[in-house]
Amino acid sequence: MELHNDLADKTIVITGATAGIGRAALHALASRGANVIGVGRSADRCQQAKQAVLAEFPAARIVFVVADLSSQQQVRDLASEITRLVGEIGGGKIDALINNAGTVSSWYVATADGYELQFAVNHLAPFLLTHELLSLLEQAPSGRVVTVSSGSHYKAEIHWDDVMYRKGYGCLKVYMQSKLANILFSAELNRRLGAGSSVHAYAVDPGLVNTEIGFKGTSGIEKWVWRRRKKKGVSPEQAAETLIFLAVDPSVNGSGDVYWKECQPKVPSADALNEDEAARLWALSERLCGIIWG
Amino acid sequence: MNSSVLITGATGGLGKAFAAECASRGWNLFLTDLNGAALASVAAGLNRMYGIQVQTFAADLTGEDEREALWQHIEESGLRFHSLFNVAGIDYEGLFNERKVGEIRSILRLNVESTVETTRRALQFRDPVQPFRIVNVCSLAAFYPMPVKAVYASSKRFLLDWSLALNQELRSTGVTVTALCPAGMPSNPEVTRAIDAQGWMGRITTMNVGDVAARTIDRALSGRTIYIPGVINQVLRVLGGMFPPQLVAYVIDKRWRKSYQKSSGGGQALAHPAASK
Repeated sequence: MELHNDLADKTIVITGATAGIGRAALHALASRGANVIGVGRSADRCQQAKQAVLAEFPAARIVFVVADLSSQQQVRDLASEITRLVGEIGGGKIDALINNAGTVSSWYVATADGYELQFAVNHLAPFLLTHELLSLLEQAPSGRVVTVSSGSHYKAEIHWDDVMYRKGYGCLKVYMQSKLANILFSAELNRRLGAGSSVHAYAVDPGLVNTEIGFKGTSGIEKWVWRRRKKKGVSPEQAAETLIFLAVDPSVNGSGDVYWKECQPKVPSADALNEDEAARLWALSERLCGIIWG
Repeated sequence: MNSSVLITGATGGLGKAFAAECASRGWNLFLTDLNGAALASVAAGLNRMYGIQVQTFAADLTGEDEREALWQHIEESGLRFHSLFNVAGIDYEGLFNERKVGEIRSILRLNVESTVETTRRALQFRDPVQPFRIVNVCSLAAFYPMPVKAVYASSKRFLLDWSLALNQELRSTGVTVTALCPAGMPSNPEVTRAIDAQGWMGRITTMNVGDVAARTIDRALSGRTIYIPGVINQVLRVLGGMFPPQLVAYVIDKRWRKSYQKSSGGGQALAHPAASK
């Protein structure tokens, strides 16, 4: 099919673009002519996701970069590679960074940096990647940082005594904490950038979506629950609509709302809007990533 | 004197959990494992999180030359230790006749020879003004003759008996030895799959490595000689002791042969320091 080409001037980065919501967003954005850089953990799955789009839209512009976001070194290498690619083919700017990649794990797993896996992939990786790519987002007329959060954050709080849950680990509470962190990060980023900035951050509740996330690092019980639960979810294509809306729609410009569901702003939990919590998480994240946000 | 903790196998799942737990207690670390880049990554992460000092040295402890190089380095660095965690260990799971001779040799060299030698050497660099805590990572396998894991389980039995004897011998000098005997721990995707393959039995005998690390250190500090994490695992140990070892071996053979074939469909090596504890 022919491209729609209404997004021909956009360059968009999507993490976790080989499956689920990310893959649906990649497909939709590429079909509209956007220049899309996808990120995935497996070279094979990246290739498959790219070929699936090209089979339908031979003129689609898609490049994939392979990276394991649980490793900070790989996040940094990824950012360098994206920077290089954007200089070559993306007009030296990024219009939207969609921090979609996320994981779950039944068990406490330590990453290469010695950090807990879900906290590292779901929160620290978007934090660090956004930091590394911010100057390119600032080159765009209306740069967007879209991070996929979850309605499960309403039940969460940041477990400051042991933020990595080395003790008393539980799959869901660690997941929910990381999704709360996504909103705290987005809100704090907006505060730090200030009203005059061309870059804005949004967190998305995709709703319950029929994807494979619950099968990732999980054991029997979580897999069983997710097999039943996911059937009630919406399709990844439907869930991707809010991501795409926030990434490219002109009407979002400068919206003060940080949390969105079904293309509408929504009020997140009181914790998610707590400025002290956000500042504290920001400081911790800077320290854990070894960066100082300018 | 600002002494450190020595951890071998420090980039595996359990090794990283011990490193993080020690760091959270404000202890400086000296970490060793095979891969220098992996060591540097853990060291940097824990330094950022806990502000403690971390030194590393990459070495393949199955080889005498590399062990010599490690201790040469430690001597030159002027390091002193108040704790030693012998985590480095290996298993190549599978039937005895299907294993390569070199693999069997590696199990014995790393699990037995290197652990004993590392302990002997570390005691020479002990912090003189503190008690010295040794934690030897054995396994629940140490209590049983285990077909399919025959060499591995026997190597862990060696460590268990040696730990108990050493503890008795050195106790009056302020040294304690704790034998940690966990069931499988889901410290990486391969082990998680192997635990899944054991079904409900794998699930109920399994504990998170973070909890295991924290509780082990609590017990080491109070001088416990054997720590089996998890009530069900403690029951299994008692049950195992009530039957003749021949019968235990027969039952384990039935069970493990099946789950081994289910998880690997052949001889996939679990070449990971924390694998199949």
